[in-house]
Amino acid sequence: MNKSRAVLLVLILGTPLMAWLCLILGSSGIGFPDLGTPIGKAIFSLRANRVAGGFIVGAALSCAGVVFQALLRNPLAEPYILGVSSGAGLGAAIAILTGLSAAGLAWLPGLAFVGAIITLTLVFTIAHDGGSPSVYSLILSGVIVSSVCSSILMFMVATAPVEGLHSVVWWMLGDLQPAGLPMLLTCGSFMLAGALALWSLSPELNAMTLGTETAHHLGIRTGLIMGIGLVLATMITAASVGLAGLIGFVGLIIPHVIRALVGPDHRRLIPAAALGGGTFLMLCDALARTLLAPREIPVGVITAIFGGPFFLLILRAKRRRGWMA
Amino acid sequence: MSAPALTFNAVTAGYRKTPILQDVSFTIPEGEIASIIGPNGAGKTTLLRVITGLVKPIRGTISLFGHPLENLRAAERARLVGVVPQSMETPMAFTVEEVVMTGMVRTANRFHPPTAEDRARVERAMAYTDVSDLRFRVYAELSAGEKQRVVIAMVVAQDPRLVLMDEATSHLDINHRLEIMTLVERINRDHGATVLMISHDLNLSAEYCRRLILLDHGRIVADGAPQTVLTEQQLKAVYHCDVNVQTAVGTGSITVTPARRWMPDRSGSGIRIHVVGGGGSAAEIMRQLNLCEYTVTAGALNAGDTDTDLATALGLEVAVEKPFSPITPATLDATRKLVTLADAVVVAGLPFGPGNVANLVLVQETLTAGKPVFLMRGIETRDFTPDHSATRLAESLRTSGAREWDTPADLLPLLPSRECKRTMN
Repeated sequence: MNKSRAVLLVLILGTPLMAWLCLILGSSGIGFPDLGTPIGKAIFSLRANRVAGGFIVGAALSCAGVVFQALLRNPLAEPYILGVSSGAGLGAAIAILTGLSAAGLAWLPGLAFVGAIITLTLVFTIAHDGGSPSVYSLILSGVIVSSVCSSILMFMVATAPVEGLHSVVWWMLGDLQPAGLPMLLTCGSFMLAGALALWSLSPELNAMTLGTETAHHLGIRTGLIMGIGLVLATMITAASVGLAGLIGFVGLIIPHVIRALVGPDHRRLIPAAALGGGTFLMLCDALARTLLAPREIPVGVITAIFGGPFFLLILRAKRRRGWMA
Repeated sequence: MSAPALTFNAVTAGYRKTPILQDVSFTIPEGEIASIIGPNGAGKTTLLRVITGLVKPIRGTISLFGHPLENLRAAERARLVGVVPQSMETPMAFTVEEVVMTGMVRTANRFHPPTAEDRARVERAMAYTDVSDLRFRVYAELSAGEKQRVVIAMVVAQDPRLVLMDEATSHLDINHRLEIMTLVERINRDHGATVLMISHDLNLSAEYCRRLILLDHGRIVADGAPQTVLTEQQLKAVYHCDVNVQTAVGTGSITVTPARRWMPDRSGSGIRIHVVGGGGSAAEIMRQLNLCEYTVTAGALNAGDTDTDLATALGLEVAVEKPFSPITPATLDATRKLVTLADAVVVAGLPFGPGNVANLVLVQETLTAGKPVFLMRGIETRDFTPDHSATRLAESLRTSGAREWDTPADLLPLLPSRECKRTMN
């Protein structure tokens, strides 16, 4: 439909514009950094890192959210639903509290990613009962594994020294501190590959939202698609958690908003959600950096406070194209 | 001769090692419209799920158009078999066009936008099912009848050679039921698609299918033309309820109606009723008394009489006379024994002649002995005795306190019965 094409066009054209806007905002003042000076260069690379990081994390989270909602046919599904957040949180807490994160930049995202993957494997193993896992057993085992991880995390936080505690809490609120260009490139290409693979599954995702049996009747190997889709979505979520900690709201609400705007066809929905989610998080991070400059607000706080009311308005206006049940 | 659309060869299938289908074999030739009928839990849905590969057979083989089912890949299977489910719901706001397009999910190229050919196929499917005007409407907001048409359009776009209808009309009103079935008939005729439906609607199945397969407890009980499958005896045995099967003289169409339970909160359990009948006049009343849990006896009846056959089938005690013979004293004695044991006697709407008027004499004795007697009205019109003795006997029965009835519905409340709590089961 033409209207959804227009929305897609606005997103494609608007994203670079917003990226530019985010580049001229920062705690050191508003304006494009003077690339002639070393300080200007440093500020530029710092901001560019944050903007790029914000974009890829936001894009990955909302893509993953779209896929989780489609495969689990659940409007409350979000990237962290299978317990990835708690697993990654545990990994990150271990990195921070053992001091490994201070030893090298790669330790924190690395351990968070490993934690997420271990959690995912556990959830799938528990849910797998002979045949392909059902939606309910997946969600249930996700909740169980997640609770166990949270409890261990809470125990670690409760017994942690004060300075470590601060870092852990800060990380859990979501944090786009620059992780360095190599890390950005690694995570970015990983997420790009995952998102493209998910995009290529759009026809299957469309069919799956008509019901698993209908999809089966249309010739789709539902168990396989469910497995591939959930694993890919969880992997890119894990990568984003490693990079930026736990950022709520993006992966749950952006898919709903974009679906209300462009319709449920995943061939449009996935790229639109990636652009929308990326731009949204990028903007939120710019606000987080500048609102109380030089102090920073955790970006996870901004996403909900500013995004909430705005998206509520969109969802109310576009309810007819949103989630129907 | 091409391979049949569907062959079941001694298939046993079920869930978690509990077999639901037992040793089922049948063949559906290409181009047929057939219906699988049977009570809840008979295995109809399991059978359908076996065809679509959702349930793997424990034993036996299934082949689709000559291909063994287990060798078919998902995409290949979808080109052979499509399913119209009872209903399809999606929480997403897909438009009708998008839903129909999804029917081609395994034939369209995932990396290209739909080709002109794909679009034409969707257009044809929508035009065929008359949903073209709904194309931009949101599927989830359509009425149940419109939704089913869209689902059929999706299956037409899928273009399978065998269409399975899984209770596809059970949510629809009579008009839309007809509309969907007419559509299915056209798909069968125009596209040469074989149609196998599963339905609780016996009348609809009889109307549209030249072949019915009756399933009970996972086995095929009957397989053939509607008039051979839908017999009262067969249906009663399978559905455990009384049914009437009527064939319309003009159209030959068969109508099955479940007989009403006449006494929902009363029971004749432990009460004996003797029925005097013959020539099929007592069939309905014996059936209903039996359903109301009375202990029913009958006689004297001639062997070979419709009522005799039914009474025997119902397992009733009957005093039987030789075929086409007048009642002999020996048979009358046997009848008297039954009447003596009975708590009440019912005389059905049978014709009386010299051969059987002895029954009425026996009834008179019973009434004199103080047992309630219930006469069907109008003996005068059925009296073929030369001396009108039946009419006279009836007259004297009435004056001695026999009560009269017209239909079973009138009679049942008059009979002795005991109250029983209605149980939900």
